[in-house]
Amino acid sequence: MEKVLSVNNVVKSFHQPEDFQVLKGVDFEVEKGEFVSIVGKSGSGKSTLLYILSTMDTDYDGSITINGNNVTGVKQNKLAAFRNEHIGFVFQFHFLLPEFSVIDNVMLPALKWGKKPIDVLRERARELLRMLDVTGQEEKKASLLSGGQQQRVAIARALINDPTIIMGDEPTGNLDSKNTKNVFRIFRELSREQGQTIITVTHDNDFASNCDRVIELKDGQIVNQ
Amino acid sequence: MNTNNKIAWTHLTSKIQQLVVAVLSVTFGISMYIFMNGFVGGINTAFDDITFSTMAHIRVYNDLPNDEPSLIPHTTNDTIQFIHNARHIKYTEGIKNAQKIIQIAKGFTQVTAVTEQINQNVFFRNGITKVSGNLSGIDVENEDKVFGISKYMLKGHIYDLEKRNDGIVLGSGLAQSICVNVGDNVTLTTADGTHKSFKVLGIFESGASATDKSKAMISIRSARQLFSKNASYASDIQINVRDYNKVEKVSTKMAKMIPYKVESWKEGNSQLESSSMLRNILAMVISISILTVAGFGIYNIMNMTVNEKMREIAILKAMGFNGKDIVHIFLMQSLCIGIIGGAVGMGLGSLIIYIVRQIPYKIASFTSLPVAFRLIDYIMAFFFGLIVTIIAGYLPARKASRIDPVEILRG
Ligand SMILES: Nc1ncnc2c1ncn2[C@@H]1O[C@H](COP(=O)(O)OP(=O)(O)O)[C@@H](O)[C@H]1O
Ligand SMILES: [Mg+2]
Repeated sequence: MEKVLSVNNVVKSFHQPEDFQVLKGVDFEVEKGEFVSIVGKSGSGKSTLLYILSTMDTDYDGSITINGNNVTGVKQNKLAAFRNEHIGFVFQFHFLLPEFSVIDNVMLPALKWGKKPIDVLRERARELLRMLDVTGQEEKKASLLSGGQQQRVAIARALINDPTIIMGDEPTGNLDSKNTKNVFRIFRELSREQGQTIITVTHDNDFASNCDRVIELKDGQIVNQ
Repeated sequence: MNTNNKIAWTHLTSKIQQLVVAVLSVTFGISMYIFMNGFVGGINTAFDDITFSTMAHIRVYNDLPNDEPSLIPHTTNDTIQFIHNARHIKYTEGIKNAQKIIQIAKGFTQVTAVTEQINQNVFFRNGITKVSGNLSGIDVENEDKVFGISKYMLKGHIYDLEKRNDGIVLGSGLAQSICVNVGDNVTLTTADGTHKSFKVLGIFESGASATDKSKAMISIRSARQLFSKNASYASDIQINVRDYNKVEKVSTKMAKMIPYKVESWKEGNSQLESSSMLRNILAMVISISILTVAGFGIYNIMNMTVNEKMREIAILKAMGFNGKDIVHIFLMQSLCIGIIGGAVGMGLGSLIIYIVRQIPYKIASFTSLPVAFRLIDYIMAFFFGLIVTIIAGYLPARKASRIDPVEILRG
């Protein structure tokens, strides 16, 4: 199987308010099309790890390779373009741009990439929103949607560029069980049928147990994978 | 539309009130810039008008020779030379053949007008009041071309001097001090003791009060008669050139061809030049300060916008927008503010100039406050306005581009 992500001995420390090692040598690999859950107690370093994997946090020791590209030590401007193409990210708190319409929020990463004509993108965005069960809201301002709806819009946004890896920090944290199941089903399909890799942090045992693999973090170290 | 511009536009239009305040601060700055500089430009024109209503750009006259030749050639060292009561004697007075000089002057392409004058000090008398002043014998038509005297006539017409040999035109202050009006008679007494009576045909006011208090004009033919001079005699020849700031170029060339003193207005009048320059600098300083304040307005508002939008900037970066994109997004917003504010400011500036021009005020040949409409002020206002907006917009934009998304998103 093809490796999509390999994490080699990643160490991350915070120096404020005091020196504190959050990740103490994390090592693992993820294959193409794998659906992986990261679990662990609150404060165990799951979010910190995910920010590093997403290339947004570059302040760590060790090395990371994504899709054959070494991303450690690469300049932020290059990483931005890399993220745009290869990584879809769903934040723990559904962050949308409140002044933009729902559909514009979904389309923004694709508009930034500029690979496809705008009407194709618009159609694709509608389709994603339909898939996530947010219909009839496309032209509304994002700030007017409920928390659950916003989170699903954020998931649609993460999918718009068909990224190699989709990362989520508790992407279903705000959803009811029906929508959680739906999102799980979508992720499952994307990984099986499109070969996209999914890495999500979750507290939902049900959600985790149905994944291909569960990685458990404890005090900044992998204790189980 | 480019994605960054689309984001910039959405940010701009989602806070209309902020947008209006920012635009207004630029509008105010630009309109004040245009008005201040236009006003000072108008004032300078008025002062130039006053200056050149009595002074031509170049004056040609018969001067005393500067270098005094030794009366006796220097001999050996053991001889003592002693000259008692040495005197300067002016052999020639005035310009004998004025026509020839006028022809030379007219040969220069930069010269726009030439006129000849006979200037003498005389006494003006009406009954018992006796005032000394300057009498100018003028060639009316050319005098008008050089000094624009017909613009300054309060009463009567200057061209009437050509119709009557005994006609005289007086400065307003002079007419007042000898208590005469149009139609009255004045007696002139020359330095030689000749008396002649003249009829007042008109009164002028140039705005330069020293001139208005002492000057009178008669036709040059009458002047030649009065001072018993030949038909081509003149005491001064006055010449105007196209650009009075570049007068030296012409005057130095002319001096080589004319055997009399050729003097440009700048000699001995440098204070005029420096005072108009000081006014220009003052206007510049004030208007640029106003623009700078407007710049702080933009800076403040953009800074606020950036602070409010930390989270959104972090999201954009997480989605793959890089530092340059973020600078683009925020700089574009200030540019829009600058351009809209600049355009409205130009309109407002024009309106202010138009209104101020209606305010009655008597200066030189103006009857209301002089304010100039000048294209250069508009170009400079826009140029400075743009620079100020770019600087004021760039600083917050750069700050935005340096935001670390992880720090914000970690929450
Ligand atoms: N910016 C920071 N500065 C200092 N310590 C931090 C910072 N962010 C997180 N931490 C600490 O790092 C640890 C791991 O945090 P996090 O990765 O958010 O945990 P999780 O997502 O697993 O709950 C926690 O103890 C937290 O207090
Ligand atoms: Mg977390």
